[in-house]
Amino acid sequence: MKTGMSGRAFLLCWALSIAVALGLLFYPIYVIRPFRAQGPKELLAALAVIRYRAAGMAVCVAGALAAAVWYWRRERRKMRRLGSALGILIVAGAAMLSRINIYELMFHPAGQPTFSPANETKLDGGEMVIAVKVGRSARAYPIRSMSYHHVVNDVLGGVPIVATY
Amino acid sequence: MWRSEIDGLRLRFHLAGINDQNFLMRDEETGTFWQQISGRAVSGPLAGRSLVLAPSDELSFALWKAEEPQGTVANDVAAYVPQYAPKNWDVRMRKAPTVLTYREQGMEPRDLVLGVQAFGSSRAFRYGPVLQQKLVMATVGMEPVMIAVGPDDESVRVFRRQIPGVAQVPQFYRVVGQGGAASLEQTVSSALFMDDTTGSGWNFQGCAVSGKSRGVCLERVEAIKDYWFDWRHYHPGTSVY
Repeated sequence: MKTGMSGRAFLLCWALSIAVALGLLFYPIYVIRPFRAQGPKELLAALAVIRYRAAGMAVCVAGALAAAVWYWRRERRKMRRLGSALGILIVAGAAMLSRINIYELMFHPAGQPTFSPANETKLDGGEMVIAVKVGRSARAYPIRSMSYHHVVNDVLGGVPIVATY
Repeated sequence: MWRSEIDGLRLRFHLAGINDQNFLMRDEETGTFWQQISGRAVSGPLAGRSLVLAPSDELSFALWKAEEPQGTVANDVAAYVPQYAPKNWDVRMRKAPTVLTYREQGMEPRDLVLGVQAFGSSRAFRYGPVLQQKLVMATVGMEPVMIAVGPDDESVRVFRRQIPGVAQVPQFYRVVGQGGAASLEQTVSSALFMDDTTGSGWNFQGCAVSGKSRGVCLERVEAIKDYWFDWRHYHPGTSVY
């Protein structure tokens, strides 16, 4: 069983797939996190990673899979086979985790908003709201809820708007 | 508050990250990332484009309801109410750390300001003194403006200090005795301040309810209440009043 050069090629492909997948997952998390200043170039790089990482992850999964399949055909030892399969799990795990929007885990989206007439709303008079008017349609978004959801997609007076705070 | 349409395409946004303590949002339709405070696309197919501002106010609910009795209010999402900010959240936020400081012009990072970006210029007005003075005559760029505190002593609006059809730049004076819960009911019809040029009485919406200019409205100027560090970071040329 020739595993010398080929073994090294497998290891390289396997390790590279894992390293790239973990990099694609963690680099944006590292850069775009609260209480950290983001430099403009760093931010653009992190955002570019997010935008293209689905494709990158697919390549990593394919690479890890191909490497593992190649290795399984040549290797009979159970532990080594398991080790190669672990690479697939790590890469697949990173690919799945990268689909999660952690910011919306922290601050759940408001979803489709619902509304009540002003005279039926039980808010304290002193509670602050963000008020917007489009044409004759007026709407208020309580700041206490906006400061949690941060983004509310809405349509007011026939005009699509996004309330942000 | 932004209009969420670009070239006829409606965009739906999600919270997508943070950039120097101002959040990023991403639209579903193109995957573009947008900066919340500026409405500018920073990365993606629409990079460089800007959303159109939808003018808005930060008002007390009582004042808003008095002005817009037919308006509607966004409901809480029941599942997340326990996570909504407590009533004193803004007091607690004043103590939260910042990564940007901008200790300049006598300002501390979390000082509250009323930021005005208009007439080719940026200016930050210290929020506490604005609330205390209740009526501030100032300029932004070369344009005279007026900052008015509402009858609820909390809500703030900014107007261009120019009465349509009148050449002279007016001075405004707050009507003595206006303010408090009782006057909120008549907030639309009552004069909150008067001008020295036409002798008209103006309500908090900037419309004359009495005098020679009755029926005329002042031009609103968009302003936001913000922390100094955030305003300064995205308006590097800003002055401080």
